[in-house]
Amino acid sequence: MSAVASPLPEGMRLPSLEKAAVWIVLAILLLLAGLTSDAFFKFNYLANLVRQAAPVGITAVGVTFVMLLRGVDLSVGAIVSMSAVVCALVMDGKAENLWLGIAAASACGAAIGLANGLIIAHGKVSAFIVTLGMSIVVYGLVQMGTGGTARGIVSPGFREAMNSRILGNTLPVLVVCLLAAVAVGIFLQSRTRFGRGVYLVGANPDAARLAGLPVARITVVAYIVSGLFAGLGGLALLARTGVSGTNPGAGMEFDVLAAVVLGGTTFAGGRGSVGGTFAGVMVLFIALNLANVAGLPFAAQLTIKGLIIIAASAAHSWIGSRGSGRSQE
Amino acid sequence: MRPQAIGAPVLQRLPRIYWALAALVLIGIASVPQFRTVSNLANVLDQSATLAILALGQAFVIAGGMIDLSVGQLVGLITVVACMLFQAFPDMSLLVVAGCLALAAMIGLINGELINRLRMSPLILTFGMLSVLQGLIFMFTDRSIGQVAPSIAFLANGRLLGIPVSLFLVALVAFAAWYGLQRSIFGWHLLAMGNSADSARKAGLNLYGLIRIAYLVSGLCAGLAALLVAGRLGTGFPNAGNGLELDAIVAVVLGGTPLKGGRVSVVGILGAVLFLGVLNNLLNLLQVPAFTQIVVKGLIVIAAILADRPGRLAQPA
Repeated sequence: MSAVASPLPEGMRLPSLEKAAVWIVLAILLLLAGLTSDAFFKFNYLANLVRQAAPVGITAVGVTFVMLLRGVDLSVGAIVSMSAVVCALVMDGKAENLWLGIAAASACGAAIGLANGLIIAHGKVSAFIVTLGMSIVVYGLVQMGTGGTARGIVSPGFREAMNSRILGNTLPVLVVCLLAAVAVGIFLQSRTRFGRGVYLVGANPDAARLAGLPVARITVVAYIVSGLFAGLGGLALLARTGVSGTNPGAGMEFDVLAAVVLGGTTFAGGRGSVGGTFAGVMVLFIALNLANVAGLPFAAQLTIKGLIIIAASAAHSWIGSRGSGRSQE
Repeated sequence: MRPQAIGAPVLQRLPRIYWALAALVLIGIASVPQFRTVSNLANVLDQSATLAILALGQAFVIAGGMIDLSVGQLVGLITVVACMLFQAFPDMSLLVVAGCLALAAMIGLINGELINRLRMSPLILTFGMLSVLQGLIFMFTDRSIGQVAPSIAFLANGRLLGIPVSLFLVALVAFAAWYGLQRSIFGWHLLAMGNSADSARKAGLNLYGLIRIAYLVSGLCAGLAALLVAGRLGTGFPNAGNGLELDAIVAVVLGGTPLKGGRVSVVGILGAVLFLGVLNNLLNLLQVPAFTQIVVKGLIVIAAILADRPGRLAQPA
């Protein structure tokens, strides 16, 4: 899709270094990790790592779309919390409420996304502040709903099913869920008119509007997608923990944003991909896992996360300035 | 350029937030008896001092079309460091104060320098810095440590002739910010950069220098705010600054400074800080549950940004 930005037609482009960058980083990191502990080369350990990454990964797929659009969604952490809490409350420990709970959580996520999208598309205001404000509102609503204590019980079988392994007890179900989310994201991004529209609007909103694209509609849909995937991410988190705390998704928007930026989707929009985001999620989790294995305290992990965000973003703007001269945001 | 009645210009130039503030104060006077007391008023002013200084610092970066998300955690870091040092060197509190302010200004300068050298979006850089600083705080401590010097406690809580001492500090900072942003050549250049960085560069302005100084001021103000926070808490609480960056940005935007930069109003920011302080005070006095207060504040953030929309009710700069 980045043929939009490239002066050459699709077939004549060289494989871009920028797109491969995150995969190269992932390979190097994995190699380094393997050298420090050979557990990283074992399928079980890797599968477990991916399983841990599922909530952040699923959420990041949705956020990729708003970032491609030059937007940002800081409300996803709060939506993850809300989804987990709503799902547990609706399920109420009864098996027959299983699908109702899942549907309710997804609907809540999509509804918050819709609100974000409508305000941003029609108010023409900073997505950053709107979604930050929304995250506060949603956080407050979640606290009001729970009364400040962990409430709600998941349906019997939900947690067990999501944490089991298929294919002869090898592949965790949560890994399958994450891969499915990535596959859906890649399909949306490269096989639908919506996906094409997201890239075009992100690359140049004015040109997209002049070309007659429904910019407002694409924006709203992108935020709905982001909210919906955050809702699904909340379900994945609930499946892993089995209980809904009062704010299980607190701060998750930071991880998600770091992963998306690492994956090559810049704040300038129009560039990046869901596949890159997946690689970014894995880089982040392997790095944090390494910090853990190395025995670094939680504080050091926070610092590393921050440095990774800065370094990745700097690298991308450096690569960008070599190429077509990205406009400074 | 419609004809105007005499006196109208003053009312028109008064930032819009003052109408909201007046309405809020009237509601408070009408509905809550405790609201009217002098001690409550002094309390509101005391509580607002931190935010006022932080918001005035943030105004420098926002006026230039940038943003600083790291100030909240910077407040936390300086609070912790200051209290540790006050306890370790009780006789040298003046030196500790100077050192802490220098440290805060230096971290701000690092922000500006990195933005210049890495050519990064200020949003993402200061966002990363937020995480870095948070990590640094927790490397020092994961619980409240140290204690505060009596002079700092007096600065934060004391009264001089019945007036909160912190009010004098805020007035000083506000005057400096007003002069720096709205009366000096530096402010003129900063606003030009906020209006259009491209045009400012073509006009020969030194953007790197402007960015550096704007972030230095933001860091310095965070340091001052941190001393007030330390004085109020009496100890170095590692989470003291959580979320303060958002409050500061909201106050700046509510005060009539658009996030794009290019326009600024120190008087408006002070009004917005008072508005938020009075709102907080009223919600507490009316015994609104804490969780409902969170929702109300979030809605105000969204309302503020919608009110800030370009092209609506445009004011003269």
